[in-house]
Amino acid sequence: MKILSCFSDIEEIKPLAAAGADELYCAVTGLPSFGEPAALPDLRAFGKAARAAHRLGLKISLAVNSVVPKLTPAEEGGLLKNLAAASAAGADAFIAASPAVIELLSLAEPKPAVHLSSVQPCFNSLTAEFFIGLGVSRIILPNQLSPYEARGILKLCHARGVETEIFDYRFFGCAYVNGRCSLHRPGYYTAAAAVQKGSMCRLNLPGSLPVPRTVGVAPEWKYRLGGITGRLAERLGRGGAPRMGNAASLYDYFAAGVGYLKYGTRRDPPDVKARKVADMRATLDHARELAAAYPAREARERFIKRLEGWDGKKY
Amino acid sequence: MAIEHGIRLGGGGAKAVPALFNWVYLGPEFCENLLETAVCAELVRFQKLGKKVCLLTPLLTDKGAASLAAIFRELARLLRTGRLDAGRLEITINDFGALALAARAKLPVKLGAGRQFAYNVFEQNSGSLSLLNRRSLDFFLERGIRRYEISAAGAMPRTNFSRSGCGFEPEGFAFTLHYPYLNLTTTRTCLVGLRDIQPRDSVRGIDCGRECRACAFKVDHPWVKEKLLIRGNTVFMEFPGKFYSSEKELELLRVDRLVYCPLP
Repeated sequence: MKILSCFSDIEEIKPLAAAGADELYCAVTGLPSFGEPAALPDLRAFGKAARAAHRLGLKISLAVNSVVPKLTPAEEGGLLKNLAAASAAGADAFIAASPAVIELLSLAEPKPAVHLSSVQPCFNSLTAEFFIGLGVSRIILPNQLSPYEARGILKLCHARGVETEIFDYRFFGCAYVNGRCSLHRPGYYTAAAAVQKGSMCRLNLPGSLPVPRTVGVAPEWKYRLGGITGRLAERLGRGGAPRMGNAASLYDYFAAGVGYLKYGTRRDPPDVKARKVADMRATLDHARELAAAYPAREARERFIKRLEGWDGKKY
Repeated sequence: MAIEHGIRLGGGGAKAVPALFNWVYLGPEFCENLLETAVCAELVRFQKLGKKVCLLTPLLTDKGAASLAAIFRELARLLRTGRLDAGRLEITINDFGALALAARAKLPVKLGAGRQFAYNVFEQNSGSLSLLNRRSLDFFLERGIRRYEISAAGAMPRTNFSRSGCGFEPEGFAFTLHYPYLNLTTTRTCLVGLRDIQPRDSVRGIDCGRECRACAFKVDHPWVKEKLLIRGNTVFMEFPGKFYSSEKELELLRVDRLVYCPLP
């Protein structure tokens, strides 16, 4: 398993490589990418970054994974030109989500490698097959899919020579289906207070939420509601739905041969990015050592035990 | 243009629905655990009552895809034997895997893009409803999708459904508008059903007791004036006010079907 890290400034490339990154990705202002705005300013900067990455032996991919790329036909032509320019500037692959952008990329010459973004969630092998048919060469699995549920996708990808990638659960853990979440759209609601970035998504308000009130109770459930209400109140208070990603899932994906482990918080300061990648490197090295030294079950147990002691507060 | 009216029924169904509603929407829109072949009998029953019916389908894992394949097989059998009328049946898709399954099953019915899928072609905000680009629209048209489902999210949003708005003459789409609840977000790890996941747990699926069928929950969020509503794995907001002033206004939005959801 290799490490793929985000970056948002050319100065971050060397430290990330030194920390153990095998591949890099970024966004470029003006090209349609998903989420946070931390991006390189233009394609010239991307070209410089690509050369710097290649000098260090690292591949570089460019995120054009907006779920909602708004384009007139004329703008579409402009985007195609920019994608070709990015390819010529050294992009080894493009991360895409919209079928329109994936189709556009298939028109570029030479045809670039395309990675299916997790914000176009691939939760089943039929979806994987659909996008492989559109030319996708790597699938970034959504964080709400367990290794057990992903086994059909992994088998298909292995058979078709398609790469797979997961997020490191320690550094990314959206509680909702990523790419389909509208909780961050303040236009839908009236703010009663300043909403911190990202906080609506997690509803992380320990102890400050009134107990949820029931609506339209089905009579047969009347006497079993207490536990359900309590569970919901507790979850809303501490950050939303349970996270699927955990130490066990990381090891199981590792053992299943998933090719890439991703870190993608572009807004993190440069030193935090490098420290997180170093942490990922140490974790993967440890997983490899355990897999070589112990029977499968014991290696897994030891790996989980070590990660149970992992403290994310240091970041 | 006559506006069609539909009603979305929950898991328990209903013996009959008021005459106003000529469409009945059945099936799980948000969770594959609720996919059951029993829904086919309900589709048949409501068609017998003179209704048009639409089967809603959710986001799928391989497990859900197997359940949906079984439903499609049953639908094919019912269509073949004449117990279901293909002209009065539609299927709403929320997953590319479901789209692939429908293509394989070759069901002679119309497909629509559901509320968790329409974002591939349209972007909706409280004040606007925009077609993203021609390529996306054509992509779905080529796969048989002309209908898109959206939620009511405010009166008379701005649109770009003109040559000056989107750079070409946009044709070949219509909307179904669900009201009064807008689905804000969905998780797979159900807020009310799934047990907590520990560091050493290997999750094999979303193991639940169908707690979503118990009720919805109204939640006060201290930073938001409106109430949030939660049912199972999905967070909704309610838009109780009138969201259109006339059928003419709906026509401008290209909405030709309204679907009332009694509960989120």
